[in-house]
Amino acid sequence: MSQLVTANVATNLYWLGRNLKRANQTLHKILKAYDLIIDVDRDAGVKLYKTFDIELKYDSAVDFLRQAILGEHRSNILEITANARESAIISRHRIDSEAFGEIIELHALFDSITKTDIEIDYKLIDKAHSLISEIWGAFAKREHTNKSDLFITMGRLVEEADFRLRFDKDETITATVIQEIDAIVQVLNEDSEPVKQTQSQSSDEDDLITVVNTKINQVIVE
Amino acid sequence: MLEKNTELHAKFWEIFNKQDRQKIDEFQTYMDKFAVNFNLYKDGNFIEQSLPFDVVPRIISTEEFAKIDKGLQQRVKALNLFLEDLYTDAKIVKDGIIPETFVKEAGGYLKEFVGFSPSQKIRAHINGIDLVKDSADDEWVILEDNLRVPSGASYPLSIRDTYRKIYPDFFENLKIDPIKDYPSMIAESMEYVNTGGIDVVLTPGRFNSAYYEHSYLAEKSGAHLVRPHELKVVDKKVYFKNYNGKLIRVGSIYRRTDDEFLDPKFFNPDSLIGVPGLVEAYLAGNVALMNAIGNGVADDKGIYYFVPKMIEYYLGEKPILKNAPTYLPYFEEDRKYIFDNMEKLVIKDVAEAGGYGVLFGHEMTALQIEDLKTIVKANPRRFIAQELIEFYDEKCYLNKELQNRKADFRAYVVAAEDIKVWQCGLTRYALEEGNYLVNSSQGGGFKDTWVMEL
Repeated sequence: MSQLVTANVATNLYWLGRNLKRANQTLHKILKAYDLIIDVDRDAGVKLYKTFDIELKYDSAVDFLRQAILGEHRSNILEITANARESAIISRHRIDSEAFGEIIELHALFDSITKTDIEIDYKLIDKAHSLISEIWGAFAKREHTNKSDLFITMGRLVEEADFRLRFDKDETITATVIQEIDAIVQVLNEDSEPVKQTQSQSSDEDDLITVVNTKINQVIVE
Repeated sequence: MLEKNTELHAKFWEIFNKQDRQKIDEFQTYMDKFAVNFNLYKDGNFIEQSLPFDVVPRIISTEEFAKIDKGLQQRVKALNLFLEDLYTDAKIVKDGIIPETFVKEAGGYLKEFVGFSPSQKIRAHINGIDLVKDSADDEWVILEDNLRVPSGASYPLSIRDTYRKIYPDFFENLKIDPIKDYPSMIAESMEYVNTGGIDVVLTPGRFNSAYYEHSYLAEKSGAHLVRPHELKVVDKKVYFKNYNGKLIRVGSIYRRTDDEFLDPKFFNPDSLIGVPGLVEAYLAGNVALMNAIGNGVADDKGIYYFVPKMIEYYLGEKPILKNAPTYLPYFEEDRKYIFDNMEKLVIKDVAEAGGYGVLFGHEMTALQIEDLKTIVKANPRRFIAQELIEFYDEKCYLNKELQNRKADFRAYVVAAEDIKVWQCGLTRYALEEGNYLVNSSQGGGFKDTWVMEL
């Protein structure tokens, strides 16, 4: 009976996968931009956040880290990890307990800097990266993957596809990611129609996102 | 006053004194990491709060626990028989053991359920019985029966799990009873009463004070955690709504919602945490509810007075565990005693719980006592009075030093084909030294309970 998952839990597992991947990829980009801001390109952070349709202002490399992590915008890392934490609490009976603990710790890591005078630096981001790797590792170690794990994987892949499209990554790999999403959708909803090859290879970002979203909406019925 | 140290305590302290005290901080880290908390609303804000805990366990010998075990089995057996009798033949009332008006005035008595008998005739499946150990005669005394939705079992399970990771020495070197079977006891009970379908744990939702526990017990017992609107009643049958819209039949529901909010069609129409039509399905015998609707009558503080009589009436046995000496102002003789001795008694409002509505005569002024007498006289059914029990303190390691705190013990008793007592329980200690109120809602903490043998 492990295939039984309520729509609410399924949605939260999906968003858990998305928010973890979002935190993972955004942190990676933040660290790269931070390095450039120091002495190569002072506007590297501005350019990065333009990709997210956010106008970010900072006056130093360290301030960039603070704005990226705690700034008042929808892509701040504190909020992304808070959302992941909330999804994990709602769906904790369906996720690996070690992974659950690491998710709580990940959010606590960023939350702690709002309550203390800890300086935000690269070590904090490195620590967050390690925690996220441990979370993925904990998810992967499950001996018998069941359907509830697939919602997390689907969220992770959708977020990856979204990132790839935003940053103009290799289209053939993006198409492969979308095919993987398609395969999961097939398992979760036997009545689903696969994405057509031409659609999955389309370079039109909006087209692809629409197709993916339509499929996901077919999987979870509220 | 502390309980006399035994050889078991000595063994514990011998190991404890060799442990790295710094590692105690790891308990908090671990509990925070795994969100072992309870939720509350304060000034309109939702707050997640860690429950205070202590690392020094309460130690009970196997022999001593065997008596508690036997006494609790007897008590829960009698309480189940009482509930089944009360809602069907009501022989105990007809035979004059309990006054009819006394039962019918109990807040938890639901006359709409008279004549209905639930699956396997079990009504009190998961029970939390509160006890204290009286320092006057070194005996365990029952203070309260919680037969509706007793909570708290997940906390000792969590702290035990943490203990084993941080201080394995105790478990390698001492003979401590394992406790991991509690979720399987619940699963066994759910299966026993299941009317055909899956088992679910019904939670009011993420913002309930005990959501952590609901989620924990669902995961460990193998039941599915659901919120009210994730269940649907069709043709007097209850279904689980799967993510894909398919409906799966439900056979038993471990509900963590009070009766009055369970079904807006039957009880409170404003309830947002109920399942419309659930009571109809239940009365049709199509789903089992754990615990049964209407159990509130048996954990009414006034009915508690009659439990020893129930044991004798239904089982023909003497109670193994005794009640605290209790008086009912409802009876004239008792009322006179209460009024003559109010300054040394504890007065409890039967409608209150969680340590609220408890008044200690020795802490009241003469004027307050007179006021209370007037209130009691006006509504004697609403109150009970008990002799103040000087129950033992437990040693607690708080703020890096050993301190004494009064502590009670909630035992968990689960009914399936047999009645089983969990070899652990929730030991709750008071916030301040000398305080008798141990409830978490009064700021109290909890500690593990080790049933041990030499």
